[in-house]
Amino acid sequence: MTVTSIKEEQGRTVIALSGEIDLENAGDVRKALLAALKHKKDVLVDLSAVSYIDSSGIASLVEGLQVARKQKNELSLVAVSARALRVLELARLDKVFSIHPDIASAIAARP
Amino acid sequence: MASSISDTGNNTDRTIDAGSVQPGDSSALDFAASLARSFAASLNVDATVRQALGSIIQLLETEAGSLFLIDDAGSQLICRASAGPVKIDGLTVPLGQGIVGRTVAEDRLIAVEDAYEDRSFFKAADQRTGFHTRSVLCAPMRVGEKLIGAVQVLNKRSGHPFDARDSNMLQVMANAAALAISNARLADQLLEQERIKRELELASEIQRSLLPGVDSDLPICGINRPIREVSGDFYDYFELPDGTIAFALGDVSGKGMNAALLMAKTASLFRCLGKTIRDPARLLSILNREICETTSRGMFCTMLAGLYEPATGLLRYANAGHLPPLIKFPDRLYETVAPDAPPLGIVSDAQFVDHEINLNGGLFVAFSDGLTEFRYGEEELGTDGLNLLLDNAQHKPIAQRLDAVLRELDQGGWQARDDLTLLAIDDCTAGRAFQRDHRGDPAAPTEAEFLFGLSFMAEPSRLKLMRASLRAAARACRFDEDEIQDLLLAAGEAVENIMIHAYGSGKKGEITLAVHRLPDGIMLRLRDFAPRVDAAKIEPRPLDEVRPGGLGTHFIRAIMDDASFIPLPDGEGNLLELVKRRRTGPETVGDSPAGVPPDSGVSPDSGGGSDSPRGKPGVGMDSKDRI
Repeated sequence: MTVTSIKEEQGRTVIALSGEIDLENAGDVRKALLAALKHKKDVLVDLSAVSYIDSSGIASLVEGLQVARKQKNELSLVAVSARALRVLELARLDKVFSIHPDIASAIAARP
Repeated sequence: MASSISDTGNNTDRTIDAGSVQPGDSSALDFAASLARSFAASLNVDATVRQALGSIIQLLETEAGSLFLIDDAGSQLICRASAGPVKIDGLTVPLGQGIVGRTVAEDRLIAVEDAYEDRSFFKAADQRTGFHTRSVLCAPMRVGEKLIGAVQVLNKRSGHPFDARDSNMLQVMANAAALAISNARLADQLLEQERIKRELELASEIQRSLLPGVDSDLPICGINRPIREVSGDFYDYFELPDGTIAFALGDVSGKGMNAALLMAKTASLFRCLGKTIRDPARLLSILNREICETTSRGMFCTMLAGLYEPATGLLRYANAGHLPPLIKFPDRLYETVAPDAPPLGIVSDAQFVDHEINLNGGLFVAFSDGLTEFRYGEEELGTDGLNLLLDNAQHKPIAQRLDAVLRELDQGGWQARDDLTLLAIDDCTAGRAFQRDHRGDPAAPTEAEFLFGLSFMAEPSRLKLMRASLRAAARACRFDEDEIQDLLLAAGEAVENIMIHAYGSGKKGEITLAVHRLPDGIMLRLRDFAPRVDAAKIEPRPLDEVRPGGLGTHFIRAIMDDASFIPLPDGEGNLLELVKRRRTGPETVGDSPAGVPPDSGVSPDSGGGSDSPRGKPGVGMDSKDRI
């Protein structure tokens, strides 16, 4: 399961991803992100259960971020697993995304 | 009774010189010669014997006669034909006894003028049959120096006693008959040999029918050459519904028909069981129990049996006391283990062991000792010789390669001493893309130890599998978990690049991954068969540009110590070599910060062009295009 859950929390859409994200399923991630962004709400992506993510998964996140920013929403990453963080760092995107330790602090950052 | 058995002390014997024939006998001689010719033409011993006796009785005008031949043991005479009022066919007479026995024992013609003067004469026989024996003439039958029997005649019809002419005539006729009988015996032997030969030919034909037919579509081929008509060796292979090839090669102890029959049995059992049992060790175990139950005379069978998947190059085999197979990878020889189980038919509860190997474009050769025991004078071919001959015939289709090996032996004056059987699987002709690359690949550097190879379709669904395999290999190379995760990322990116850029979306092709262990890390070789990729165009994107794409190459460069394309001929696809070294180095624990491999791409030169020196020098190759 790549997209484990999609739920609403205090006006944000929270999408939880899990497992290994690569070329095989990065398209599913992209679709889920773009679908969520159609509601013109901020999106929080929970990466706590992601054990592997590669450039195609990162690309989906980047595309989501771009769409969000165009429509003045934010796409933030929460509870990023060590593995996902390593890849974001490698991509030097760890400063591009807003990254929060949990959903509460993400909400607190953009009340 | 028509034969007379006389006392050895009979003093009425006359010895007559049988060497010459009297003048005036020319008509009788002509008659004798023509008869001799006619019965010499006969090729059947019984008919010849009867015809000879009949002719002799007719020529000498006697009332009765009989012909005796020495039996196979050479101890007694057996009456093979008799003519006259009473038949005595089958009567046996010990050598030296009676007139017939003495004739042979003393090797001379014996004439008895009046049988009734002979004290031991069987009067009772005459009384019972009503035949009255008066005179007896008996001549030895000789072919060259060899005595084969005697012919005797009783009572001239004229009532006169036998004279010198009769004696001469009988001796001439006896020798002519001997020659005819000898010829007929030879002819019989020839016929018997011919019959055995035909049966052997039939057996040989049936045996050959047990061997698989040549199928040039399969990457497997065998040769069986018996030293006699029938073989104690066999090989077999057949394709299972899923494309796996079951194969076996066996060698029954001993030669000839016994071995051939056990061979036929073992081969049939294999062909039957091999279709359902997908476990070589278990298959051998069942075969072994079956053969143990029924084998006799201490016969046994050594055998290699296995399964080979052309789709992956994976080969599993088990060995029952047979010579270990020769396994040749494109760049080196694989050390195979000695048989770890006894031959079939000796210990009924023997345990067999499966061996598994990925051929990776290599060659698997099973053979009987008839091949390695090929002799040139005192020199034996041996496994090394076989290996050399196989090398000489490289780059040929497998069937031609095996033919070339045998031709070289035959023409080189090597002598076969046993049945010869050879079975080879050429993973290069398995139809996978992998074959071509390995053959065309520049050899891996010597410090690199090949671990395994994977061949898979350029489909994203194969990525997980690739990573899982690589993870195990990376652990074997003693990388820590962080390094392993990085390595999987870099390899995954490289494979995705092939899928997206080399083959292009929608196009399916093959990708092969060869994993080598280095003293201080790991080397991956990724091969595709797409049109050539220009390394210069695979540039990492500027990192400050936030957009998808180009990231993968950046990851590869950041993680790997070396990533270069090894040049291949046009149309041969692309070969990317990736090297990653442990941050702990070959021996000691290194001091680089955790999570950041040495020269991990965060250094200032990481954004440089494809020619910028990065990391440690590439292994072995000079003309690589770094990405």
